[in-house]
Amino acid sequence: MTVAALPRRDEPARTHLEAVARQASPVVLAGDQVLPVRGELGELIPALRRGSVVAVGGESGSGATTVALALAAAATTAGEWAAAVEVESARLGLLGGLAAAEAGVALDRFAVARRVPPTRWATVVAALLDGIGLVLAEVPLHARAVDARRLAARARERGAVLVGVGAWPAEAALRLWADGTAWPGLGAGTGLLSARELQVRVEGHGAPVHGVVPLARAG
Amino acid sequence: MMRTASLWCPDWPVVALRTRHPELRSVPVAVLGHGERGPVVQSVSAEARAEDVVTGLRRREAETRCPGLVVVDADPHIEARAFEAVARAVETFTPRLVLERPGRLSFPTRGPARYFGGDESLAARVLAAVEETGIPDARMGVADGAFTAGLAARAAPSGAAHVVATGGSAAFLAEWSVAALGDPELADLLTRLGLRTLGDFAVLPAVAVLARFGPVGARAHRFACGLDELTAAPSEPPPELTETAELDPPATQVDTVAFVAKSLADRLLARLDALGLGCTRVTIEAETEHGERLARCWRHEGALTPSALAARVRWQLEGWLTGAADLELDVDAETTAGLTLLRLAPDEVVPAGGRQLGFWGGDQAAADRAGRVLARVQGMLGHPAVVSAVPQGGRTPAERVRWVPWGDPREPARPVGAVAAPGANVAEVPPWPGTIPGPAPARVLDPPRAAQLLDDDGRPVAVTGRGDASAPPAHVRCDALPAGGGAVSAWAGPWAHDLRWWDARSRARCARWQVVVAPGVACLVALSGGRATVEAIYD
Repeated sequence: MTVAALPRRDEPARTHLEAVARQASPVVLAGDQVLPVRGELGELIPALRRGSVVAVGGESGSGATTVALALAAAATTAGEWAAAVEVESARLGLLGGLAAAEAGVALDRFAVARRVPPTRWATVVAALLDGIGLVLAEVPLHARAVDARRLAARARERGAVLVGVGAWPAEAALRLWADGTAWPGLGAGTGLLSARELQVRVEGHGAPVHGVVPLARAG
Repeated sequence: MMRTASLWCPDWPVVALRTRHPELRSVPVAVLGHGERGPVVQSVSAEARAEDVVTGLRRREAETRCPGLVVVDADPHIEARAFEAVARAVETFTPRLVLERPGRLSFPTRGPARYFGGDESLAARVLAAVEETGIPDARMGVADGAFTAGLAARAAPSGAAHVVATGGSAAFLAEWSVAALGDPELADLLTRLGLRTLGDFAVLPAVAVLARFGPVGARAHRFACGLDELTAAPSEPPPELTETAELDPPATQVDTVAFVAKSLADRLLARLDALGLGCTRVTIEAETEHGERLARCWRHEGALTPSALAARVRWQLEGWLTGAADLELDVDAETTAGLTLLRLAPDEVVPAGGRQLGFWGGDQAAADRAGRVLARVQGMLGHPAVVSAVPQGGRTPAERVRWVPWGDPREPARPVGAVAAPGANVAEVPPWPGTIPGPAPARVLDPPRAAQLLDDDGRPVAVTGRGDASAPPAHVRCDALPAGGGAVSAWAGPWAHDLRWWDARSRARCARWQVVVAPGVACLVALSGGRATVEAIYD
């Protein structure tokens, strides 16, 4: 009886075991190396590749922050953590926490580093890239291209997505431009800010894509 | 069982506050701490208690009961720093102090009681020494075991000691309410089962208690029987578990050392974790450039977590590095130079009870990694510089989010919806009347940027007492907008707010517009006291 209970050690058993081990060994699928982007923006950019740099540009008020927050939402919905870096003396004010929640960011996995001095900006972003899936970095004025390239290398090494908001001074795998917003819900003294049509231009490795992203929200 | 003395200073947060701010003496004071549903009164002075202000009240309720009440937020750093003076006074009697929290410490009495001629005489000497440091109302309890000694201190009259004779613990404890166990959930359950006192609870068979209430109940049952916490003797931890960090150059700033302490605490607890151990008592040791050695032992109910341990190290360091200057202590036991060495030694370890992880996965490794990285950034920029957003109630975009420092409890300061009176139909209570509708702006200007809101003729737009605008807005000028602002293409509003109209001092009247400035930049403009500001940009 006890002999029957012992595991078989002959040749077919071994090959079978190896086949099972190959099936169970962790294989990183291509689909796991990207963060899928949901919502209307996802029709322009289906996914963000881990380890890449995304630059988001646009004038103040054109919708660049909203686009950036939608990318952060892609990270937190995938179960990753996201962090934002705000530069001291930002011309643009602080990130809106409610807007982040409305964009779909899970707030308990979203940290914001406030009022980072421009001299320590690169250090802070590099530290965050070490352990956080997506870092939303406001680019300070006169950021150096050397720093930006070093950060891009760090992001590639760690498999984190670096989103530069503002004038990103180096190469980027993907460049998004917010080209302005229309607010069809609001008239002269009538209506409310509700529906929003955001013009987004995407420049990547392929042909540039233009698109209008309707961001309808319950008023 | 170990004969233990416990020293208790009632209302320690208030006492500590008054040593720091002498002008608050003889004024009714209440200290706010964190409750389950926002800030509640944690500690009150005798003057305030005479006016029926008790712990657990909300701020407004407390202020209603006692006009003229000074309400202050709790500051554990001040409390711990002030308690260092008491710890030093007691240290002249015995070196084996165990700090439980600011306001409470305990020590084994076997040696010192024999030397000073009995528990009563030892307690009297300790109390006299504590009184000399200027702390009014300290109390002591001496009994078998730390739990009984703690309750004995609560039974003692002001400035005196209550000694429970050896073997008399069970009789002493029998009359206490089960609330004294310090576990509100368990106490509530026991009361509903008809077990109102510790005596009632103690007569149950221990095996049945373990079966019904689990390890938490079994531990409480041991307390109720007058036995000490640990059944197995706490094992002496092997010496290599000590974590040491050398500081070069020597550190004189608390922040620098606290940052090192945080990583030390992480490492120590990770190693204990790997061995399946939890730490209930830890000794914090430091050495200075001049060769002085400082050591203090901290105890924690349950097992220490990395953040709890790091907080205790920080309190202790503040006591050592800055305490003397604040408290005008004599400096013989004080640091005269920067710290060169910091060591955390687990003093007492117990088998870890295990930790239940979240049911639906959640990548624990990713969370740990993110936590470590954010702690490092907090070390670089300061604790409040890394924040996380918590939605809360309010009217404006800035009001509707509370930014809490990373690692602090994520609690809103104001409820998200209006709080309905019990029995009221909730659907009839509108949440936060006058909230600005629509999507939330992605950029909030804090403080708001000065602006000009002009009508067609170039005159500033004004708002009447009834909340009507003098003219439709036609131009907005503000340096936060691209090209300094421009013509208004569309707008909505004004929303007029008249906040706290019943209070002349804090009353605030304000009107807000949603404005789209050509070419398509939407912003939120506020007008208050004749001054226009841009509060947020819908970027």
